[in-house]
Amino acid sequence: MRQIAIYGKGGIGKSTTTQNLTAALSTMDKRILQIGCDPKADSTRMLVGGKRQPTVLDTLREVGTENVTLEEVVHTGFGGIKCVEAGGPEPGVGCAGRGVITAINLLEELGAYTDDLDFVFYDVLGDVVCGGFAMPMREGKAREIYIVASGEMMALYAANNICKAIVRFAKQSGIRLGGIICNSRKVDNELELVTAFSERIGSRLVYFVPRDNIVQRAEINKKTVIEYAPESNQAGEYLQLAKNVIENDNFVIPSPLEYEELEELMMESGVLA
Amino acid sequence: MPLTLLKSDKAIPEREKHTYIKAASENILPLSNVQTTPGDFTERGCTYAGCLGVVCGPIKDVIHLVHGPIGCAYWTWGGGTRQNLSDNPGFHRKYCFSTDMQEDNIIFGGEDKLYESILEAHKEFPEAKGVFVYATCAIGLIGDDLKGVCKRAEEEIGIRVVSFNCEGFRGCSQSLGHHIANDTLFEKVVGTKEPEYLTDYDMNIIGDYNIQGDLWEIMPLFERMGIRILSTFTGNASVDDIAQAHRAKLNLMHCQRSTPYICKRMEEKYGIPVLKASLFGVEQTSKALRDVAAFFGLEDKAEEIIEEEVSKVAPKIEEYKTKFEGKRVFIYQGAPRAWHWVNMFRELGVETIAAATTFGHEDDYVKICERVNEGVLVLDNPNSLELEEILTDWKPDLFISGLKEKYLSYKLGVPFINGHSYEKGPYAVYSGFLNFARDVEKTLFAPVWGLIRRRKNAQRND
Repeated sequence: MRQIAIYGKGGIGKSTTTQNLTAALSTMDKRILQIGCDPKADSTRMLVGGKRQPTVLDTLREVGTENVTLEEVVHTGFGGIKCVEAGGPEPGVGCAGRGVITAINLLEELGAYTDDLDFVFYDVLGDVVCGGFAMPMREGKAREIYIVASGEMMALYAANNICKAIVRFAKQSGIRLGGIICNSRKVDNELELVTAFSERIGSRLVYFVPRDNIVQRAEINKKTVIEYAPESNQAGEYLQLAKNVIENDNFVIPSPLEYEELEELMMESGVLA
Repeated sequence: MPLTLLKSDKAIPEREKHTYIKAASENILPLSNVQTTPGDFTERGCTYAGCLGVVCGPIKDVIHLVHGPIGCAYWTWGGGTRQNLSDNPGFHRKYCFSTDMQEDNIIFGGEDKLYESILEAHKEFPEAKGVFVYATCAIGLIGDDLKGVCKRAEEEIGIRVVSFNCEGFRGCSQSLGHHIANDTLFEKVVGTKEPEYLTDYDMNIIGDYNIQGDLWEIMPLFERMGIRILSTFTGNASVDDIAQAHRAKLNLMHCQRSTPYICKRMEEKYGIPVLKASLFGVEQTSKALRDVAAFFGLEDKAEEIIEEEVSKVAPKIEEYKTKFEGKRVFIYQGAPRAWHWVNMFRELGVETIAAATTFGHEDDYVKICERVNEGVLVLDNPNSLELEEILTDWKPDLFISGLKEKYLSYKLGVPFINGHSYEKGPYAVYSGFLNFARDVEKTLFAPVWGLIRRRKNAQRND
């Protein structure tokens, strides 16, 4: 079983990329558990046809920790993917980080991680803002991290910060960076910049996903591109991404850049280059 | 002698800065009021404990609601362990309130549960004059808006609802909790009610918590002089008493560690002067009465009372003194009692050989060093191993401390008095001094010490 966590700047397209990736993997007969670690609880939305499903934390709140069952919180979606949403509080109250910790512990206690799975995916909210959102990195919950980024400064800045968290936990939990997935924003020199960034931190670009409006169209139809337009070019891109992930054997402890180095890199390889 | 390192501290050399053996020729104080050194098994409490457990807990007619997990509730319960007596004992000493935060409340926020808890507690106890809400560590982390919830609840139930941001992890000991309690009560309560009438002899007693009824011995002495006690802070206090405290002519401050903050703020805002006092033992009590009398111009009356009271206790104290002469005591208290009691013991013929505080500041150690003799060990924030070493190697005849240390002392065969919540108090002023002397006699000469293994054979577990 490969345990993978997807991190990246808020709004970069983590959930979209993750769902299309897992959907693509499912067409290759892989058995997958996908866990959304975001209070918005929308990271498996397109896999389950847009249905709002009860989250782990909502269920826990309703019936109490002792009474939560897997049947209530695990929902089978496209391609047999088992979909779970951790859930969490409304913006501005409580502790979403604690929610991630509680939800993952509970899933483990309930035996959600069965031996027949090929992949477990964690789709984690935004940046690693506190200990709770580092939970999938800790204690070997996830072994591989993929960071979704683009050619924009702030996306790379966030990616670099996430690398710092990976370094922090690499020794104790054995997690490694699997690589960078570029979700293109059509920034000039984007491929060169993200490739250069990936190499500078000691990793590599796993795949460059081009921008295509069909992704948005599929989303409005509450479907992944794989399901909505399996013959489209974009579906082919996601299938290639899936293939690259399957074949990936480059797992490293990254060397994050200093802020000045990151700026330099932008000057050398970014929009101005 | 300079700063020194006890044998039990070999592994924590930082403790040397906190350990001083007094020499008159020097101007040294042990380091205090700083973070505990890692590895040091400190007995300190937390900011929340200082706020609720010490300062606010004795207030007798408000609902003290602990906003946090259930475990935070019991040990700070004003009436539970601390013997803060009141004339409304069926309330604050009987009931303990907690929001009992669970995991899902932490994740989704505790504001709704807090609001419901305030309303529920008020419904159960409509006679309560207010609700005080205390933030524990977990609440500080998840950022519940206590102020907002309390304001809403206050509008709903029509009695004052006050929040205290006294999260345990703030500060290096319980001391910051005293400060937060002082500031919050000053800002939210003091000055919100006017007394029915005023006299020229209105005084507050600040920093006495009526432990086993101390205030009921203290107050009559001043009242006989013609003084009216307008407010006590906070022993046997109604929240309404504290609300009208701003109209006093004088603040008499007893505990000078947990209440100098509110005294200072009342002085600044309302011009109320502060008089510091020790109300333990004959000499210190007489001095306090004389100082207060001098302020109000009641000297003759004070002398009368002093003469009458001293004549009642002096012969008995002389008797005790003959019995106790030559005995040596180790005093370990929160802070001020470590120096309040040096002189009181001296009146009983008992000399202090070591004095320690849990959360004293520099001014507490100045006062200790002024009062004790050459060669006395002055120790800041002692841990259990140090206490054991002092009890076995320094061989005091008597140890006065709190509940935590009681059984260590008993096991080592050292006569012990609970100086935090007392054996059979009250211990304040003249009448209390006799109770105190009686308890010293009882423990010093208890036959049990002859029946247990002698201390000289005791081995320390190094």
